[in-house]
Amino acid sequence: MSPDTRTRPEASSGTSGLRNANDQLGKWTRRFVRRPGSNNSAGRMVVALLLAFALFAFLNPRVFLSPINLQNIAVAAPEIGIIAIAMMIVMLTGGIDLSLVAIANFSAITISTLYNAIAATDPALAESLSLVIVLAGVVVGVLGGAINGFLVSVVGITPILATLATMQIYNGLAIVWTGGSTLYGAPAVLGSIGQAAVANVPLLFIIFIVIAILVAVLVNRTALGRMIQLEGANSVAAQYSAIPRRRVLLKTYMVAGLLAGLAGVLFVARNPTASADYGSSYVLLVIVIAVLGGTNPTGGFASVFGVVLATLTLQVVSSGFTAIRLSSYEYAIAQGVILIAVMIFDSVSSSRTKKPKKSGPPRHSEPEPSAVALSDPDLKRN
Amino acid sequence: MEALRKLRGTNNEGVLALVLLALIVGMSIANPTFFTLNTGFSILRSAIVPVIFALGVLIVVITGGIDVSFAAVAIFAGYATVTFCLTMGFDPGLFGIFAIAIGIGSLLGLINGLVIARFSLPTLIVTLGTQGIFFGAMYTYVGATYYAELPGSMAALATTNLLDVTTSSGRAYLHILVVPVLLLCVLVALALKRTMFGRSLYAMGGDIEAARRAGFQVKRTQVWVYVLVGALASIAGVVHIVLSRSANPRDLVGGELDIIAAVVLGGASIFGGRGSVIGTVLGVILVQVIKNSLLLVGVPSAWLRTAVGLLLVIGVGVQAIAARRKSRQMRVIDDVDLAHPHEQKVGS
Repeated sequence: MSPDTRTRPEASSGTSGLRNANDQLGKWTRRFVRRPGSNNSAGRMVVALLLAFALFAFLNPRVFLSPINLQNIAVAAPEIGIIAIAMMIVMLTGGIDLSLVAIANFSAITISTLYNAIAATDPALAESLSLVIVLAGVVVGVLGGAINGFLVSVVGITPILATLATMQIYNGLAIVWTGGSTLYGAPAVLGSIGQAAVANVPLLFIIFIVIAILVAVLVNRTALGRMIQLEGANSVAAQYSAIPRRRVLLKTYMVAGLLAGLAGVLFVARNPTASADYGSSYVLLVIVIAVLGGTNPTGGFASVFGVVLATLTLQVVSSGFTAIRLSSYEYAIAQGVILIAVMIFDSVSSSRTKKPKKSGPPRHSEPEPSAVALSDPDLKRN
Repeated sequence: MEALRKLRGTNNEGVLALVLLALIVGMSIANPTFFTLNTGFSILRSAIVPVIFALGVLIVVITGGIDVSFAAVAIFAGYATVTFCLTMGFDPGLFGIFAIAIGIGSLLGLINGLVIARFSLPTLIVTLGTQGIFFGAMYTYVGATYYAELPGSMAALATTNLLDVTTSSGRAYLHILVVPVLLLCVLVALALKRTMFGRSLYAMGGDIEAARRAGFQVKRTQVWVYVLVGALASIAGVVHIVLSRSANPRDLVGGELDIIAAVVLGGASIFGGRGSVIGTVLGVILVQVIKNSLLLVGVPSAWLRTAVGLLLVIGVGVQAIAARRKSRQMRVIDDVDLAHPHEQKVGS
């Protein structure tokens, strides 16, 4: 402590009101600047979305702004977006789930097989049982998530390894089941949902938004959501706060499985086919989206709104690349560059507000707000 | 007892070897064609590329990181080298080809390392990103054609065998590339065990902050690690092209997870600080033997992925449960130690 900090209170009592106001202002700005996740990243994504949209609309307005293209964006975004939201929830606990796409495919295959099996004897019965068939697909998703959750929480395997293994298992089982070929056939109801639109907005997109809102409520307004966030922010503190770690993790992965199962339903709704290797590029893509949407990959902070915006942004970039005749490989480059650029930007801007020099010797400074210690990447890495 | 513990190895290599041995014995009883020189040599041949990859992954995993871009680096380096040689129409010889590929691979690894070390970013996310970049860049800027003809020196290497044994069930070939791979294994093992660089990798994996305070150049080492992985991956890429006698840009990428699974099965901890070359090699061979034996027992090849996944769950699950039990035991011992002096004090 320097001498002048000690003498300050007595020296300037006359201007204490002003100083208090100033302190208050400082505290408020600091909180605003440091506020991790939500507002910050969502605001950034709004700007990114508008920029991307404007850029491609300028480069090739005839193709990019055509109603068909815009509708394609709105139809393709939901399935990716829902898996990205599932990834976000898992990342919120500091984990990762590589098996989500495999679960979604498994759910789609379940729906297609069940439908075909029943329709082979009685097509009318199969249509009337549509709801049950779809539910079966979703249940398969929840089961897949429960297995992940069991491995992570009860057995204690690191999430990345557990879900890496289950990804192989689910994917392998799907290959065995389908024999590696594509299955055709799905309840007609799903197909009509996939085609339907309300006021020119595809129904699939509306479903996506509804699911996103539900998840946002779950994460921000329920006890489970709070516990998930705490678990990711500081696992040790969560344990001392009597948070049932195992149960929370199990539920987290089950919710992620549920969402993946729903994404599988959307796969079938969009296109009445199911195969084991559909959307294999999504595994990387959803991680990109989740991180882009302001999810901290080490856990604790995320925003559903940001993830939704990030989904749309990447979908806009993807179809924009097609509109200006760039290949999907160039899109792969763009994905990687965007991901790394965002991570670098986050790291630079957060280290600027935290400490001036990262690799310097530890400073003896006044105690900092605990939020800083929580989001310190050095402490949380590995 | 002491000898037993030594046999078991620090990372359960002994247990792994026992499992491997049991599997081989079991398979040989179930299907006598398994226990032939043919099978043995073909398993060794199929393990060549995975072992080189696994060495690279092992190095990263020991430092507590993870790299999923190595397959993209490998095919980029290998394919770009072949393309370069074929379009320029000259053959720089094996040495030249490996030198060019290693140069490209190290450069790509350097990108990984610089981004990760400079900005302290999560390694998984960064390498996921660079994987897309490298793969996309190869297709966009290098090419996407399939080359069935290789430069002369590579084609010659492809058909060179170290051993050529005629057995009752036909001729068995042991490919010459087994030798350099063994050499690489020994080199990496020595580097990990006997050099300052190797020890600093373990130190960083154990606790990066502690390693930094102990005076290790953490950032610089991290960059070197990824350069090294890039170099190893590029060797694997060239070897893969040689062994498959064609350069296909669609190869390798997508198989990263199998390699990581093998390394983790080999006893390396994903949290860093643990792992050995012997364990890694055993892990890779175990996966290859299982792949090979499934086919022999008559299980359709579609089950392969599931089998590898199950193997990973079992291997890692056993490790996780054992680790938890150990930590519980340690806590108990601590309590006893604390209680003991206390009693003495009361007694005196």
